[in-house]
Amino acid sequence: MWRPASTWAREAGAVFAKEWRSELRTRYALNTLALFAINTLVVVSASLGPLGAAPGRGGEALPVLLWLILLFAAAAGLPRSFVHEEETQTATALRLAATPSALFCGKLAYSLTLLGTLEALVTPLYLTVMSLDVARPGLLVATLAAGGFGLAAGSTLVAAIIAQAHGKATLFAVLSFPVLLPLLLLAVELTRGAFSGGPPGVALMQLLLYDGAVLTAGLMLFPSVWNP
Amino acid sequence: MLPALSFTEVRRRFGRLAVLGGVSASVAAGEALLVTGRNGAGKSTLLRCLAGLLAPDSGTIDYREDGGPPLDAAGRRRRVGLVAPDVAFYGELTVAENLAFFARLRGLGRERGDELRRRLELPPDRPAAALSSGMRQRLRWAWALLHRPLLLLLDEPFQNLDAAGAAIARGLLAEHLAPGAGPGEAPGLAVVANPVPLEIPRVAASLDLGA
Amino acid sequence: MKRTAATWFLWLWIAAVIVGAFLYAPLAAKFIGQSSRILFFHVPMAWASFVAFLTAGVWSLLYLFGGKRQARQPRCDRAARAAIELGLLFGVLATITGAIWARIMWGSWWNWDPRQTSIVMALVFNGAYLALRDSVEDAEKRARLAAAYATLGLVVTPFFFFVVPRITFSLHPEPVINASGQRDMETRMFQVLLASGAGFTALFFWLHDLRTRLLALADRVLEAHGASAPGDAGAAGAAVGAAAASARTSTQ
Repeated sequence: MWRPASTWAREAGAVFAKEWRSELRTRYALNTLALFAINTLVVVSASLGPLGAAPGRGGEALPVLLWLILLFAAAAGLPRSFVHEEETQTATALRLAATPSALFCGKLAYSLTLLGTLEALVTPLYLTVMSLDVARPGLLVATLAAGGFGLAAGSTLVAAIIAQAHGKATLFAVLSFPVLLPLLLLAVELTRGAFSGGPPGVALMQLLLYDGAVLTAGLMLFPSVWNP
Repeated sequence: MLPALSFTEVRRRFGRLAVLGGVSASVAAGEALLVTGRNGAGKSTLLRCLAGLLAPDSGTIDYREDGGPPLDAAGRRRRVGLVAPDVAFYGELTVAENLAFFARLRGLGRERGDELRRRLELPPDRPAAALSSGMRQRLRWAWALLHRPLLLLLDEPFQNLDAAGAAIARGLLAEHLAPGAGPGEAPGLAVVANPVPLEIPRVAASLDLGA
Repeated sequence: MKRTAATWFLWLWIAAVIVGAFLYAPLAAKFIGQSSRILFFHVPMAWASFVAFLTAGVWSLLYLFGGKRQARQPRCDRAARAAIELGLLFGVLATITGAIWARIMWGSWWNWDPRQTSIVMALVFNGAYLALRDSVEDAEKRARLAAAYATLGLVVTPFFFFVVPRITFSLHPEPVINASGQRDMETRMFQVLLASGAGFTALFFWLHDLRTRLLALADRVLEAHGASAPGDAGAAGAAVGAAAASARTSTQ
């Protein structure tokens, strides 16, 4: 359904504001994400110790571990935005009142800011605890932004799908893993380059392409997922 | 042109059960259709199909507002007002915040929400999770009428309401069905579902699903 | 009659491919013993699983966005599901034959070579699709959600082809038609390979047709007995059970 841009933007903004207002009162997602990430971080650093970026001493594993922490924390905390609506039955009211694409973007913006907050918390901690030097901090920030976008977009769409199914928690992991794998591979490659100083090559462009593809797919598919 | 609703041979099954088996009726502006039947007869399912929340397996639903072509499911979703037991609101937001959110979604100002809230005597600053079941039902009425819909779909609309609440709700329904209720002064129409027959105004037809 | 003739032709074609693979095509120079014969089956199986994936994607798109004759039609949903199931079958076969070949050539069953990784991801996708279907009870919602997921899969899969091979070192033999467009393979081998590819593609579409029709029949049987497939497992057993149950209750 076509709506003028200004009303669409207002709708998306209203959804975004409502999500954060609810979240700040219950702090459920923030707690889950932060505690999950910190727990995982503790396990990783306690077992590996401060390896620094020295290659051949497990240094190659460090970019992967950072993204695994982000991936699992996202899986723990992001799906709630849709699952909660279905479980508390507020989804009915939303189906009647909101334009699907505006709803999707509002929820996506919320997931993005949530994930961004998590990245801002986890990454410095990770670098500190693992005694890592970052040769190219600009590339790291760009990777976290582009990778975070893809992670949030893919997770939001898959969350909308599984929210209407049974066995939500495990189903989310099962469905999102194949979708997010290219993103993870690209993000890890770029992060490795950011730590060690290698050139990004074509990977950053491919990551942005992936982001665009998943966002487009989300906008196209969400109305069919959300409504009969 | 006046709004009009008619549906023909609407069927819906859920898993093993054929819940709705070929139901038909029509409602004109200013009229109410009363749908009765035992529990599980398909009243709520029918209303959800009319609201565009469920796709019927077969049959047609024809709802038009301005003499134009019938609205598709997306159109019906935006245009109807639904009062149903499974409509819930955001527990951590207050009554006023809930209404303000939905008003904003629909591009409305705050006045209509405030007016309905006062009329239904809802406490503005109480979190929705802390409402009694009767208050929650009043909030459902306020929410349903927020955008001045022409078609009201009411599923057990007086459930949990005390005498005062029921009187206010009946008044709102009567105003809805009278001329001058919606934009352009057209009277609205309503489909009311309840396990037992209700005393409501302007009932033009009854549909009994149960057997 | 036409269908039977075409089926016979398919069987003969595949028989000819098998004979040709062992008797007509020469052995490839760089392969150990007779192991290059696997090429004529492994590659077409992988190709067929790719075709299956595309087919599922197309039917899913039709289900969601097709015209009046396709949108939200159960037959499009059945066709998509059948394609995914067959994609899983051919993918598993491709993986197994590939692993056998890897074992012969390089001594280990699995190397996370990019093509192996890609086929595993495709299998995971197919499995996830079927897991999703099993998690939704209502038929209409199930079809809709599954179609959306299959479409998402279709969008994401090209990235496997670009990203994965670049990142990991490959043990796979070079593509048959290399960068300069020249044929890098013995003529007779290439003929048999193409013939096998055509045969496996036809085999997929034939099996797909059979499976789709079987699903349609199962749906009709269950509907006639006033029930529909529990989850997706449907089939004759449940229909018989439902028929027996309704016969019992109607005599009470």
